[in-house]
Amino acid sequence: MSIEIHVITVLTFVIPIFITSIILYTIRLLRGPTIPDMVIAVDALSYDMAVFLAVLSILFKSPILISCAIILMLWAYALDIYVAKYLEAKEFGE
Amino acid sequence: MSKMIDWTLVIIGEILVIIGAICDLLGAIGMLRFPNFFVRLHALTVGSIGGAFVPLIGVTLIALGSEFLDPYRWYVAGASFVAAIILLILSPAGSHAIARAAHKSKVAKVYPKVVDKLEEDREKGEIK
Repeated sequence: MSIEIHVITVLTFVIPIFITSIILYTIRLLRGPTIPDMVIAVDALSYDMAVFLAVLSILFKSPILISCAIILMLWAYALDIYVAKYLEAKEFGE
Repeated sequence: MSKMIDWTLVIIGEILVIIGAICDLLGAIGMLRFPNFFVRLHALTVGSIGGAFVPLIGVTLIALGSEFLDPYRWYVAGASFVAAIILLILSPAGSHAIARAAHKSKVAKVYPKVVDKLEEDREKGEIK
């Protein structure tokens, strides 16, 4: 049994778990009663999708997919800081 | 000998990826079931550190040990390691910022509440 077959088998069994948790986070994002609930749902969704892209880049052997992961995380952090500043001051500042 | 090191890295990486997937599923269930915003922050932490940092380190180890990726394996390993370190630094900072803003602006109610010392201190005027 070579390394390639082993890695591809394990990652194929892992992928449905990630898809299930992405669906559950999306339900919370649509149902969330307040603004901070939606923001933390988007955060968790972004981190989850970044890991999912990293797993897919090994599974499909295409390294272009992994360069999206860092950008997704930075975008989620920017959304956090922006919404926090808006909630505290009720205005979009510089 | 080199084959042995490759197998060790790949097995450890696969175990980390499986642990991360289980943590991710638990975080998603908690995010859906918990009663208010401040309890859902716990589910966010499980889903971000346990569900994203640990499997990114696992992807790094798998990419280091797998020869079939070959001209690109150092690229995949380095990019996922940098992503993991950035996640470890930025995710707690962002969640603390949003929690402080939500409590201060009273957008999210602390509804099934046992005790809230921060709100009592704010009413007494000890902290702003």
